[in-house]
Amino acid sequence: MKVLITGAAGRLGRLVARRLLEDHEVVGLDTSAWPGRPREITLHRADLRKKSTDDVLRREQPEAVVHLASLRHVFDERLRHDVNVGGTRKLLDLCAKHGVRRLVVLSSSYVYGALPENPFYMAEDTGLSVSRHYPEIRDLAELDTLASGFLWHYPEVATAILRPASVLGKRSPSTMSGYLQLEVSPTVMGFDPMMQFIDEEDLARAIVRCVEQKARGVFNVTGGAALPLHSAIRIAGGRALPLPEPLCRALIGMMFRLGFAPAPSDAVDFLKYPCTIDGRAFREATGFVAEHDLLQSLRSVRG
Amino acid sequence: MATARPPRALPLRPEEISGPIDRLAGLAFDALGPSYLRDLAREIDEAISRAPLELNALGYDPWGFQRDVARRCYLIMALMYRWWFRVETRGLEHLPAGRVLLIGNHAGQVALDAAMIGAAGLLEANPPRLIRGMGEYWLPRLPWIGLLMVRSGSVVGTPKNCIDLLEHGEAVIAFPEGVRGMNKSWTERYQLQEFGLGFMRLALRTRTPIVPVATVGSEEQAPSLGSFAPLARLLGMPAFPLVLTPIPLPVRYHLEFGAPMWFEGDPDDEDRVIEEKVEEVKEKISEMLAAGLERRTGIFT
Repeated sequence: MKVLITGAAGRLGRLVARRLLEDHEVVGLDTSAWPGRPREITLHRADLRKKSTDDVLRREQPEAVVHLASLRHVFDERLRHDVNVGGTRKLLDLCAKHGVRRLVVLSSSYVYGALPENPFYMAEDTGLSVSRHYPEIRDLAELDTLASGFLWHYPEVATAILRPASVLGKRSPSTMSGYLQLEVSPTVMGFDPMMQFIDEEDLARAIVRCVEQKARGVFNVTGGAALPLHSAIRIAGGRALPLPEPLCRALIGMMFRLGFAPAPSDAVDFLKYPCTIDGRAFREATGFVAEHDLLQSLRSVRG
Repeated sequence: MATARPPRALPLRPEEISGPIDRLAGLAFDALGPSYLRDLAREIDEAISRAPLELNALGYDPWGFQRDVARRCYLIMALMYRWWFRVETRGLEHLPAGRVLLIGNHAGQVALDAAMIGAAGLLEANPPRLIRGMGEYWLPRLPWIGLLMVRSGSVVGTPKNCIDLLEHGEAVIAFPEGVRGMNKSWTERYQLQEFGLGFMRLALRTRTPIVPVATVGSEEQAPSLGSFAPLARLLGMPAFPLVLTPIPLPVRYHLEFGAPMWFEGDPDDEDRVIEEKVEEVKEKISEMLAAGLERRTGIFT
């Protein structure tokens, strides 16, 4: 089967591409280069928002598309919205136009938002409330909503939308990994929410499984048990610095502007309230169980 | 639950489990605490280890309960149970193993009734049970308080949390009167307020037996003139009770656990049908309250 991966040169894209390469033909699409990629992988340098993407799909006629290309935490909000929402909309149209049969879209469990009244283990039918307190990443919720619309509009395409927990990886650029890699991680005094994680290798396996099993639906994807934030920081080998909330917000905002923190100050709600998900539906649909040990993943995050 | 799987056993270093201040405080308590307190702490430790709990390597359960923090919370609750409210508990043998929904009357301005029912479950039930409270939605917003609520085994009272806990075989306590009951004035004591219907729908959906619990005493612990609504709104609280005593009075609590009640039917039925079933539970609690008031010799004795 021929699989096209958007964002193939990214951290997760490379993992997914290498895994898919074992049994499938892999075509990548990215604006960035991937020096040293396996020879069997064709990488098209194209922008999702441009006509060139249409050409790539027309020429390659992939049976499956894995959509991983999105911008996270860049300053230029307009560019982010353009790529994440505009780019996704365009790609979805192209998938319908070129007869793609399987589609996997990467969303995030962050779309639920971290709200005080969140239950533990939110199911997939929980509302996407992230923009209520964290408008910077509302484009993520929009991306998710666009893909859900596609899922219902085109029943003939096996569409899987994955909402993984915080992604861990050795020196990974993911938001939570970046936070855990800080020398001192600011936290909010009096709060210590339960957190869930998934190793990037497990997430790559989950994505491959969706492609191979033609999974259809919206799925939460999670790794091992939930752990409180402060324990996660300690196990990762960092140090927590509990601060009164306004101070924590100010510090994280400043660190983000200077390029030290992976997310802006509105992300502080994720350090206060749980955003934990119920992974049962995905396990029942695909039999997926995370293999990486949570503690080992946490311990290796700082590299 | 998949999400509830504890991580495979990996040796954890002490500094990965807790911070230096926590460890120092623990050591100081073990060395210097009065012997009565240490005995009580040991009793609680033993009860927690015998209670059917699913703890991971760090001592956490899937809902944020943590052994060491809970142990300290329960120590304070146990002191109140034994010394302040001198609780008399009957009917705990009615508590079935596995999933159960406890439904009680709510009073006393602060949820000490829930705390005393929790202490009874851990100290007097055999085997000990962790009884999980369903907290108000605004509690998690409060620093430390929200955290202690979760670490001692309670959760925000959303339907999803309740369903997950019951399906996991836990004992959950809910007060269908909510703040209507807890923050009512002195003149309304022992008058059950309107019951919400949500608990019955959840019980029907998860096929959970309901154990009615009557608390006599809590209704007199903190006489109040009523709630000052404007201030409550300003502070974002569900109610601002005008309480006449700075601390709860040392009334004697009488807890009674009734026989389990089983209900059957469609959880999504009309309110009218659900109301009839709720009324049965409410009726049972009223009867138990009346009997409890009849039995006691005085508010403080």
